[in-house]
Amino acid sequence: MIPKRITIISGKGGVGKSMLASALAMLFAQNKNLPRSTRQNLDSFRIKKVVAVDCDVDAPNLAIWLGEPENWKETKKISVSEKPVIDNSKLTQKEAKQCAEKCRFNALGVEKGMLKLNPFLCEGCGACELFCPKGVIKMRPVKNGEIKIKKTKYNFPLVSGQLFPGETGSGKVVTEIKREAERFKYDLMIIDSAPGTGCPVIASLQDSNFAILVTEPTPSGFSDLKRVLKVVNHFNISWGLVINKWDINPRLSSKIEKWAGRKLLGKISYDKKVFKAIADFKPILETDLKVKKEIKEIFRGLNQLWQDR
Amino acid sequence: MNSKQKLKKIGITGGKGGTGKSTVSVLFANKLIKEGKKVILCDCDVECPNDYLLLGEKLKKSAGKVYAEFPKLNKKKCSKCGLCARTCRNNAIFQAPGKYPVFIKDLCSACGACQIVCPNKAITPEKEEIGKIYLNNKQRIANNEQNLWLITGLAKSGLEETGPVVAETKKFALNFAKKIKADYILFDTAAGTHCPVISALMGCDFAYAVTEPTPMGAYDLNLILDLCQKLKIPAKVILNQADLGDKKGIQKIVEKFKTKVEKEIPYSRELIDAYSRGKIGEIDFY
Repeated sequence: MIPKRITIISGKGGVGKSMLASALAMLFAQNKNLPRSTRQNLDSFRIKKVVAVDCDVDAPNLAIWLGEPENWKETKKISVSEKPVIDNSKLTQKEAKQCAEKCRFNALGVEKGMLKLNPFLCEGCGACELFCPKGVIKMRPVKNGEIKIKKTKYNFPLVSGQLFPGETGSGKVVTEIKREAERFKYDLMIIDSAPGTGCPVIASLQDSNFAILVTEPTPSGFSDLKRVLKVVNHFNISWGLVINKWDINPRLSSKIEKWAGRKLLGKISYDKKVFKAIADFKPILETDLKVKKEIKEIFRGLNQLWQDR
Repeated sequence: MNSKQKLKKIGITGGKGGTGKSTVSVLFANKLIKEGKKVILCDCDVECPNDYLLLGEKLKKSAGKVYAEFPKLNKKKCSKCGLCARTCRNNAIFQAPGKYPVFIKDLCSACGACQIVCPNKAITPEKEEIGKIYLNNKQRIANNEQNLWLITGLAKSGLEETGPVVAETKKFALNFAKKIKADYILFDTAAGTHCPVISALMGCDFAYAVTEPTPMGAYDLNLILDLCQKLKIPAKVILNQADLGDKKGIQKIVEKFKTKVEKEIPYSRELIDAYSRGKIGEIDFY
């Protein structure tokens, strides 16, 4: 059976998450148009509706990999956190100091006897509002992110979004984006995650049925892969591995292959021409690069894997 | 060493992942120590730190630990009033009707709001380790003097809010810089534009944004330069793999923020090989 939600993660950045996510979304969406002979034995021909979701709200790039960064059908401003507004006139210096001490994120300080907020450190937890002995700190919502929706050229919707630079609550924007994506009828949701292992990644992984881990054969790539795998295992999500740019270090690549064993879904070679293609906004599947063939191979492998289960 | 000179704090960031932040950090550190400077490289990518791998080092014994205070319930004092669960903005407190509240650590940011709000003082803080700080010594000895130190922050795996680990790692690094009278401290940030990156950049005198000549590089460069502007940190651009792809998009963003491309690093098989073997430390920048 095909999992309903697939999340693509990596730990390390720039290893090819969005490239793979965009290509897989296109392949699954195109599948229903394929002649019967090519799709036989593929469970995925039952997939009729795909929705692609860009959950890298710090640096959303999936739309670019789908060849079209603009033309959003809808953009919604959202508020995912609140920030305190302080009326200093009623606070004594001692009280201001006490309030500042309550902030676990060092976002409050006392300057010239006044309680001052450093908005960049504020997590919006509201502890200061609750504590303030005079009740002059009030939490107020801030519009700090947006959700963008469009129908791609490839006949499936893309839901993307962003947390504005300097704001807090990336995990919450991810949750909002996924909620928005759920409003589409879908058989398969493909989720492109941010790098790292923290809140946006955890929010991307939550409720996923399968994780595709992407790595590259470098000490950093392998180390970060193992870090993010701990999070995947924590949520008890089944997973498979793709090694991108495998030929930049074949020795390390084969070590990672051995480590992965049956979890290995496939390998993609390094090609400078990928840079050129994407600079021209040309999705990988519309090129003649070897990378395209290799991704199609991974796609077939995924179908096989899910067929057998 | 000129001890009167002020410590310079430089952030190395970029928005997009995998553009070469860590590579540039190590190369830049190499350049500085060759000029006889005392340098601390502080790896603030606490979710996935890599500088130690690039320098062929290992993270062995930690030099410091980072703690957060998570809530602990004293059932004897709890009246099951439900105020804590209603207060928590991270939905980290679950309370079924008539039952004691349950704290879900995976969602907790350790903000302490529940402890403040509890009318019965039934919630007390419990210290728990959320990260480690490592110090790698004995590196890069030039002119019979040790010139490079690596400080690495590492968040406990599965930790949501990693900003505080970055902040503590920085504090440790700044204290250490004072002790050894360092000339430079380089803060290598994570990818992205939020909490952990903000914590790493805050207080820097200057930042380099490392990017690549692709539409993704340009899009994310726009975001990170925007962040630097908001934080009032002057920033210049380093363009990696500069001869691949298309520079026009980058140029537009650079003009928008009235800054410049400080350096272009051309595509180099040698660099990629060195990186994939963990040998970046042996390469010359200029």
